[in-house]
Amino acid sequence: MFTKILIANRGEIAVRIMRACKELGIKTVAVYSSADQNAQHVRFADQAILLGDATPKESYLNADKLVAAALQTKADAIHPGYGFLSENASFALAVESADLTFIGPSADSIRAMGDKAESKIAMKKAGLPTIPGFEGTGRESSAELMRMAKEIGYPFLVKAAAGGGGKGMRVVNNESEFNEAIESARSEALNSFGDERLLIEKYLPNAHHIEFQIFGDKNGNLVHLFERECSVQRRHQKMIEETPSPILTPKLREEMGQAAVDAAKAVNYYNAGTIEFIVDPLRSTFYFLEMNTRLQVEHPITELVTGFDLVQWQIRIAAGEDFPFKQMDFHQRGHAIECRIYAEDPANGFLPSTGKLLQFIEPAGPGIRVDSGFATGSEVTHFYDPLLAKLIVHAENRAAAIQRMQTALREFIVHGVVTNIDFMQTVLAHPDFAQGKVTTSWVEENFKEWNAVEPSVECLIAAALAEIVLADSKPRSAVSNETDPFNPWKLANNFRVSDK
Amino acid sequence: MKVTFDSQSLEINPSEGGYIAILNGKSVSIKIQRADALRGRMDLLIDGQRVNAHVSSEGAKRWVTINGQTLMLTKTSGAKRGVRHDHAGGLIAPMPGQVRSVAVGVGDVVKKGQTLLTMEAMKMEIRIQALKDGVVSTLPVQVRQTVERGQILIEIVDGLER
Repeated sequence: MFTKILIANRGEIAVRIMRACKELGIKTVAVYSSADQNAQHVRFADQAILLGDATPKESYLNADKLVAAALQTKADAIHPGYGFLSENASFALAVESADLTFIGPSADSIRAMGDKAESKIAMKKAGLPTIPGFEGTGRESSAELMRMAKEIGYPFLVKAAAGGGGKGMRVVNNESEFNEAIESARSEALNSFGDERLLIEKYLPNAHHIEFQIFGDKNGNLVHLFERECSVQRRHQKMIEETPSPILTPKLREEMGQAAVDAAKAVNYYNAGTIEFIVDPLRSTFYFLEMNTRLQVEHPITELVTGFDLVQWQIRIAAGEDFPFKQMDFHQRGHAIECRIYAEDPANGFLPSTGKLLQFIEPAGPGIRVDSGFATGSEVTHFYDPLLAKLIVHAENRAAAIQRMQTALREFIVHGVVTNIDFMQTVLAHPDFAQGKVTTSWVEENFKEWNAVEPSVECLIAAALAEIVLADSKPRSAVSNETDPFNPWKLANNFRVSDK
Repeated sequence: MKVTFDSQSLEINPSEGGYIAILNGKSVSIKIQRADALRGRMDLLIDGQRVNAHVSSEGAKRWVTINGQTLMLTKTSGAKRGVRHDHAGGLIAPMPGQVRSVAVGVGDVVKKGQTLLTMEAMKMEIRIQALKDGVVSTLPVQVRQTVERGQILIEIVDGLER
């Protein structure tokens, strides 16, 4: 087993991975940028190394500095988390060639699945259903692409083959949008990924996004850990995930689970990975979308319903342990939901909100898990992802899980940046969500104009009292505890710290 | 004492171990049961109803959470509302972030819909496009500059009549 692991990430996921390390008795090394010197992940680690400037290229995306930091601290392995360099095959290779272990799949698997066009071709060969479309070489003329598109039919989606995160992606509804979409997708693909190859596929607007967690070791022991329904999205990014999916039948679940395992086997996959599918609920058909060759943001819901610690096992498999479980060892117990608490303003087109967290009070209670990388006083900067925390609940069934989430969201208090907490409540209370009818375009179709509520009388009074009550008592309480009515030292009773 | 948040004013004054607030001509009685300055927590009785509130303040901003619902209010000078400047041809930052690229310079003729500059925050890129045809009159920002939400990025004036 490893003695020390460097976590090449920040925020909640870095803290999550460090927790797993601590449970396994492994020392942890955090890395950070100048914007993160007081961040939670830095405080949580046994050791912390400053990488450089806040710009990701100078810090969390700088492979050379990360490898150097691991060697300097005598770590034996690097966990990449998600995002940043987690799906970068050259980084995985650089880690291995420095005689360190990369906690994840092989560089070959990352490369095979990283390209949207190539992975689609490979998956077709492995017998998986793929979305009708056309994988280009990058040399097609617009006229050729137009002919292909006509065969597929409108609406269709143009995607960058090297893409990710919704970049270089366009929906084309009719011929008049064709040229503009192709040109802008091509230039965005070239600018963002240095690769102008495009992919065209049929656009399925009323589809569900359902993915399967897969896990395996280097000896080909490979299982799936069931699905995660991730259809509540904005800007092609997930907001709420749950498992089991409200729309999967046992038969479809089994078929998709088997397809996910086949897909992973086709690229000799090991460690944790996710196969994403698009499901057409009307026809009960599914298509391979892409594979994420890393730990997923929403992995906790799988951990809660299966009782399997994905991060601990990622580390154990990477250290050379065999995976002792078979498919039949896994069962779905109860229902889990995750809400991603983002620093963004739903009333301002979900655009980011930055600032200092004046209050950050997390909910607690039975069946409630909070994976967060922030605390009161933390700075939320514009350099990184807007994810503040993940609120995850587990209950015996879907209705109970929704209720538990609603209660937990009410207890989650974040002041200093605008969050999507109130918006989450709107979604959870919506009849479409209750009926499991939410598709990937649902948020955009239903909440074009969303406004926060007007302040109530109580709200105005509380804000006005802040002037009187809080402003007045704060400076004094900083000097002495005179104004603290609960100060045990001032109580006129027999309270003592110790009676011995 | 009169306090104004955004466009709503209320009068709040001490009265018999509590406060009386007057809002839209109606008076409301307030008792403070507990207040914890450090955590910004107040337990109030408003006209006899229990209200638990979390409050934070930062400059003119007040963050209030009651019943799990959080609102941000801005304290204004009281007498008049904050007058918003009308930048008909100006474009303001829709979010805090960093200027990624600037495609035009002062004096350039621009067309409606043309991308003038791009901004990035939290891995998201947005394009700032001209709302009308015209000429760039001021460009107070530079590439890599950090801007706040609402800050003016560029101003366009009508071009010369032909």
